[in-house]
Amino acid sequence: MSEVLVEQDVLVRMQEDLRRALKKPRRERRWVMVIDLRKCVGCHACTVACVAENKLPPGVVYRPVLEEEIGTYPHVTRRFTPRPCMQCDNPPCTPVCPVHATYKNADGVVVVDYNQCIGCRYCITACPYAARTFDFGQVYTQDTPDGLPFLLGRQTADDYERVPSDEYGRKWERKGEESPIGNVRKCHFCLHRLAVGMLPACVTTCIGRATLFGDANDPASLVAEMVARPNTMRLKEELGTEPRVYYLL
Amino acid sequence: MFLKRIVYALCVVALLVGAWGVYDRLAYGHQNANYGSYVVWGLWVAMYLFFVGTAAGAFMIATLDLLFRVETFRGTGRVALWVALVSLGAGLLSIWLDLGHMDRIWKVYLQGNLSSVMAQIVWGYTLFGLLLLASLYLAIRQPRGVVLRVLMTVGLPLSLFLSGAVGALLGVQASRLFWHVGLFPVQFPVFSLASGAAAMLVALGLFGPRDDPRRGQQLWILSLSTVVLAVVKLYFLWADFSQSIYGNVPQNVQAVNAVLFGPYWWAFWILQLFLGTLVPVVVLAQPRLARHNGWAGVMGALVLFGFAVARANIVFPALTVPELEALTTAFTGPHLTFSYFPSLMEWAVTLGVSGLAVLAFLIGNDRLPLRGKEAA
Repeated sequence: MSEVLVEQDVLVRMQEDLRRALKKPRRERRWVMVIDLRKCVGCHACTVACVAENKLPPGVVYRPVLEEEIGTYPHVTRRFTPRPCMQCDNPPCTPVCPVHATYKNADGVVVVDYNQCIGCRYCITACPYAARTFDFGQVYTQDTPDGLPFLLGRQTADDYERVPSDEYGRKWERKGEESPIGNVRKCHFCLHRLAVGMLPACVTTCIGRATLFGDANDPASLVAEMVARPNTMRLKEELGTEPRVYYLL
Repeated sequence: MFLKRIVYALCVVALLVGAWGVYDRLAYGHQNANYGSYVVWGLWVAMYLFFVGTAAGAFMIATLDLLFRVETFRGTGRVALWVALVSLGAGLLSIWLDLGHMDRIWKVYLQGNLSSVMAQIVWGYTLFGLLLLASLYLAIRQPRGVVLRVLMTVGLPLSLFLSGAVGALLGVQASRLFWHVGLFPVQFPVFSLASGAAAMLVALGLFGPRDDPRRGQQLWILSLSTVVLAVVKLYFLWADFSQSIYGNVPQNVQAVNAVLFGPYWWAFWILQLFLGTLVPVVVLAQPRLARHNGWAGVMGALVLFGFAVARANIVFPALTVPELEALTTAFTGPHLTFSYFPSLMEWAVTLGVSGLAVLAFLIGNDRLPLRGKEAA
C-alpha cells in the first residue's frame, strides 16, 4: 500500500488537536481556520453543510465559495475561495453595534447575541468581507401550497424548517418575528459543535480536506504548523482587521 | 386657501397608501423590502438622513429669531421649531420602521454602547427632540424668556453636532471608501442648514400668512442662503468625486461611477442636479422671484426634493459595490443582490411618513399659536 494511503487523515489529527484545546481555559485558545486554496475544488459542500448545520433560511449564508476564472485561454484556471467570517482580532463590526449585541467572546470568536440585536444592520455595513447577512424571515417552503387530505403539502414539506437551530448552544425556532428573524447572522466557527468536541461542519464535510481548524496557540496543532508557512495570506490585511482565517496559496 | 386644500387632500392619500405600506411592514416584516444583506440600507435610511438633517437645519434657522433676535426673522422661530419637530418625528419614524426588532429600541437607551456612533446619535436625537418640545412650548408661552434662550443656546451646537454625527455614522466606516471621507461630518451640517432654509421657504412662502410685512425680506435672505449653500454643496460633490476618480481606487471609482453613470444616473443628473439644484439656484438668485411667496415656496420644495435624492445617492452607491468581486455570483437567494431599487412597500411607507409629516405641519401651522402677538 502506498505511503499516501496509510497517512493519517488530517481530520483525525484536528480532532485530537481539538480535544487538547478544549481542556485549556477559553482565553488561552486561539481558534484559527486555514483554507488551502490549492485543495479546494469548489464543490460547495462546506456551504451546504453550513446551511444544514445552522438551519439557515433563504438569503442567509455564512460560508459562500467565491469562484473566479483566472487567465486567458489556453492558460486558464478557476480559483475557489471559501469565505467564512474572518473572526477578526480587530473587528470593525463590533464597535459600531449600538447595543453590544455583537462582540468577541472569550474564545476570540465574533458572536451575535440574537436576543440583544435590534436589527439595525450597522455591523453589516462595517464588515469589509460581507460576512454578515440579515435574516428577513423567509422560508424555503413559502410558496408551497397547503396539503390536501390525499396529498402532502407545505405542512409536511416544512418539517425541516421547523427544526430549531442549535447556534450558540440554544434552540432557535423560527416562528413569527422572533429571533433569529430580524437579526444579523454570521459564521461563528460552529461554537455549539466545538463545545461538544466536534469540528465545525464545514471542516468535517470538506472533501478535499482543504479547510483546517484548530487552536493556533497549541504549537503541536496542525493549524499552528500551517499558519507559520510562508505561503499564507489573509484577505484585506491592509485594513488592519487581523483576520483569523488564513489562506494557503 | 386652494393650495392648502390640495395639499391636505394629497396628504390624506399619502397616508392611506402609507397605511398599506406600514401594514405590509408589520405583517410580513422586511420580506417585501428590496434592500438586502448586501445593499443593507435603503430608502428609509436615506429618508431618515434627510428628515433629521432638515430638522437640525430648521432649528438653526429658528435661532435667528429666538436666540439672535434678528429683526427680519421676528415671528418665524416658532414655525421653524415646528418644522424641526415634525421633520425629526418623520426621520425617527423612518428609521424605527427600518429596524429588524422595533420592540428592542429601548435597549439603545438602557443597554447602549456609547462608543457606537449610532447609539450616540439615538441619544443625541432624543435629547434634541425633548429640547425641541421644550423650546416650542416656551416660544409659545414665554417667547422672550431666559430659559428659552438657554435652550436655544444649547440646541444650536447640539444641532450642528447631530447633523455632523450623521455624516460620521457613514464616515467612520473604513471598509466603504465612498463614505470614508474625513470631511463628511463637516459636509452634513452644511446640507442640513441648506435643507432647513429650503423647508422654511416652503413653510413661509406657501403656507405662511400673507400679511407679514417682513415676508419678502425673509424669503430673500432664505433664498440667498439656500443658493450659497447649494453652491457649496456642489463644490463638496466636485471635491469628493474628482478626488475619488483621480485617486483611482477601484472600489471608490465604482461607487462614483454608479452615481454618475449607473442605472439610476437620472436620479443624480436630472433629479438632484437639474431639478433639485440648478433650477432653484437660478430662480432663487433673482430677487424679484425669490421674494415671491409662490416661487420661493415651490423652489424650496424642489431643493428639499433634491436633498432627499442626494441622501439616497450617498447611501445606496457605496453599498452596491461588492466587498469582494466574486460575491455577486457566489451564493444566490432572496435579498442577496448588489442592485437596489426600493420596493412598492418601501415607497408606500416613505410616502406615508412624508404625508404624515406634511399633514402634521399643516395642522400645527393652522391650529397651534405659532404666530402670536410677538410675531406680528
